[in-house]
Amino acid sequence: MEKKNKNKSSLFSRLFGNRKKEMSFLEEEQVQSPGRIVLRNFLHNPLGMTGLIVFLVIFAFVMIAPRYIKLDLSYQDNTQVNVPPTMSLMELPKELQGHVADIAPGTTFSVGVSDTGKVYTWGYTRITDTIDLSQIPEEVQQARIVKTATGYDHVVALDENGGIYVWGNERLGQARLPQEIKSAMRKGENLKIKQIEAGYQFSAAVTEDGQLFLWGNSNMADVNLRREYEGQVEKVALTTYSYIALLKDGSVVYGGLQKNAFSDVPQEVASGIVDISSTGSTVAAIDKEGKITVWGNVSYGEDEIPAMDSKPVKIYGGLNHYTALLENGDVVTWGSDVHNVSSIPASVHQEKITQIFSGFYQNYALTESGEIETWGLKGYLLGTDDLGRDLLNRIANGGRVTMTVGAIAVVISLAIGIILGGIAGYFGGWIDMFVMRVAEVVGGLPFLPFAMILSAIIGTRISVEQRMYLIMVVLGVLSWPATCRLIRAQILSQREQEFVVAAKAMGVKEGAIVFRHILPNVLSMILVTATLDFATCMLTESTLSYLGFGITPPTPTWGNMLTSANNSVVIQQFWWRWVFPAAIFGICTICINLVGDALRSAFDPKSAER
Amino acid sequence: MKKYIVKRIFYMIFVFLIVSVLMYLLYNLIPSDPARAELEGIKTQLRPEEYEQRYRNLRDRMGLDDPILLRYARWMGFAPEKESGELNGMLQGYFGYSNFFKKDVSDVLPVRMKNTVLINIFVTFLALAITIPLGIVCAVRKNGKFDNSIQFLTIIGYSIPIYIISLVFIWLFAVTLRWFPVSGMETPGANYEGMRAFLDRVYYLTLPVLILTFASLGGMTRYVRTAMIDALGMDYIRTARAKGLREKVVIYSHAWRNALLPVITVIIGWFITIFSGSVIVETTFTLNGMGQVYYLALRNSDYELALATQMFYCAVSLIGQLIMDLSYGLVDPRVRVDK
Repeated sequence: MEKKNKNKSSLFSRLFGNRKKEMSFLEEEQVQSPGRIVLRNFLHNPLGMTGLIVFLVIFAFVMIAPRYIKLDLSYQDNTQVNVPPTMSLMELPKELQGHVADIAPGTTFSVGVSDTGKVYTWGYTRITDTIDLSQIPEEVQQARIVKTATGYDHVVALDENGGIYVWGNERLGQARLPQEIKSAMRKGENLKIKQIEAGYQFSAAVTEDGQLFLWGNSNMADVNLRREYEGQVEKVALTTYSYIALLKDGSVVYGGLQKNAFSDVPQEVASGIVDISSTGSTVAAIDKEGKITVWGNVSYGEDEIPAMDSKPVKIYGGLNHYTALLENGDVVTWGSDVHNVSSIPASVHQEKITQIFSGFYQNYALTESGEIETWGLKGYLLGTDDLGRDLLNRIANGGRVTMTVGAIAVVISLAIGIILGGIAGYFGGWIDMFVMRVAEVVGGLPFLPFAMILSAIIGTRISVEQRMYLIMVVLGVLSWPATCRLIRAQILSQREQEFVVAAKAMGVKEGAIVFRHILPNVLSMILVTATLDFATCMLTESTLSYLGFGITPPTPTWGNMLTSANNSVVIQQFWWRWVFPAAIFGICTICINLVGDALRSAFDPKSAER
Repeated sequence: MKKYIVKRIFYMIFVFLIVSVLMYLLYNLIPSDPARAELEGIKTQLRPEEYEQRYRNLRDRMGLDDPILLRYARWMGFAPEKESGELNGMLQGYFGYSNFFKKDVSDVLPVRMKNTVLINIFVTFLALAITIPLGIVCAVRKNGKFDNSIQFLTIIGYSIPIYIISLVFIWLFAVTLRWFPVSGMETPGANYEGMRAFLDRVYYLTLPVLILTFASLGGMTRYVRTAMIDALGMDYIRTARAKGLREKVVIYSHAWRNALLPVITVIIGWFITIFSGSVIVETTFTLNGMGQVYYLALRNSDYELALATQMFYCAVSLIGQLIMDLSYGLVDPRVRVDK
């Protein structure tokens, strides 16, 4: 036990402590092997050790994390663009807890109504520079709101007198209410609206006597209702650009005029339907027996309905998933599981659920006791970029690409440099002359421009993966002359040493002399060069990628993640898009250089001088 | 010495020619057809067979079907042009025609080179004014607290890529403090004259100059420090101290003068690169410089311009190398470079 403690403290003091310990004469002058001296020198260098530890942590992160957070190159999501780092998108305001009357989950925000008629918003509510959904209009704050609905960038709210309010993005007619609603509101009549819904830039309202009102951007959405269904609508379900309606007679119809994936209503839903719902591109209906029918553009397995141990009575749709409430108060979900939208926490199954509010990537379940259980998109630890991709995912995967490219390029460059430098240095004469001229030509190719050119010429014709290999090879093949020159100079001086003469006298073959007797003596030099070159190769790769001549999106690298950050709007408002990649990359290269520096001084016999 | 210089220049020309052949071959891998591009404008007015005839004539006149080495020789100015029969290539001062700027390359480059040189002169002087004193102080207080912290800072300085430095500087000085503009070279539309024009220029160029200076601090400081430490370790320094000379005299008169020898060669090499310009900083700030022109040429597939710029870069780096090597002998007569 005591021994352990002693070790611990010595490691600590080795790293950070004062190492000017009093030593006896014997201790101080003790003869040690060079390897141990180097190791001791390195371990005693606090900067170098810190650099090594931090680098190993980053290295482990980028090598291990991509196994768990998989990269999907084609992934993008226009509902999740430029979300700042947060993990509290689903955290209800305190005032709302226990008093929930209605919740409408939106893309990155949610709107809730309390039983006292007050409206609350939470999550990331900023749509553009000027539009912030958390700025609830004065009239809404004063009214007693009973229901609310959220679209992609606007919110609809219904008060107890049948008045409808819209805020958020209103530029495309989202707030242009139908004439009937407007005049009723003006006259103080109550149209007895019982349901409001919102989709992409359009909204819908259903009255008790079967009227359906649709308004919004008619260029994008089908906001028409066929005359024959007027006055018969019981409920609507809005997809992104379209809607279906449940009629009072229990049949489901497509009420619009367009022909699309929803307009071919299947036979099964012609009668006996009790509830309908929709995701972004599919619709679902549930009949009296609890049979669920799904149709539309199925792309996330929305039609793979799981087995249920009880009859489903209600169905709710998110953006790509469905949630069904069973008769016994349990909940079942299916469809996409992006952002864990279909991963119901165990605590939900234990409770008896009375109502579910589902939308986009969030689910809120109301338990019998009035508590709210949530699952789905909590947020992004490091935010998202301009295509709605999670930055954490891209930093981890980008780091792996950057480090792999850097490492392989260094290996290529070292291999060429060591072999050619060794040959040139040892044999001299015309071989030396030839190799050095080649090195001069390659060194004479200005690096960045040449790499840019190569990838501009060849890069357009090859796949993303081949392009990555191309960059590795280009980097490796263009950066060997420095190593070559270094090795050659080292070998020139080693060649004249006694042990080489001795080896020659023993009849050792020339190749063996170069690579087995001389090379180990320049190994320290090679190690330092390799470390520093690794940082340089990573820097060059990222610079190329930053300029758009290296590895191009969608493959992430730490360099090309910063390309889109190059304007003042991003720099100021979406700081997380450049601060995180820049920070981790900067720290990584600093650490590598610190390690290289520490190695160099550890190998340097002069640094041991007192 | 003379013989050595001649030999080096001969090598330099040799390397330059090989590089130029390589580059020319490389650029010719790009699938492009200047003859078709030239006829594109009048394509619709011609009948197909007439177009085909003209196209073939033009290809023939431009010499596009000749062997690549002949075309290379024409481009370099070793062989006469097919049409005029005159030598008209790089050697005669004709660098080609830029499709992107719709001008001769020799008209595009000078104004940009002027801008780049202007920026880089400031950068070089500023960087030297900071790094040399800093390097000396670090060397004198070797392994002290000040030296260690500066060493750490220089590692940070050369570890961080210049575009990240740009991002941080823009964020700090242009976006948050609003001291300098985010990009550009002069206030658009305002045709200032005299002093106003100069101040306007200063206002726009300060940030890029600061960034370029900052990025070059790390390496140079370390170099000066190493040279100075070597010089301070010499026997004559011990002698000077033993004579009882003041420390200031020892450092600035005895040590620094000798440390200057290796430093000055690097400085000379550095001065040559003021023509090159930084691709990244110039594109980030949309400065009309050599780096940006190269970037634009590559981005817009303007390969004649890119090739000319490339050869210019290449020549600059080779000449820089040569002058650096020669200057070893010039600043220190003890060094015999021709040995």
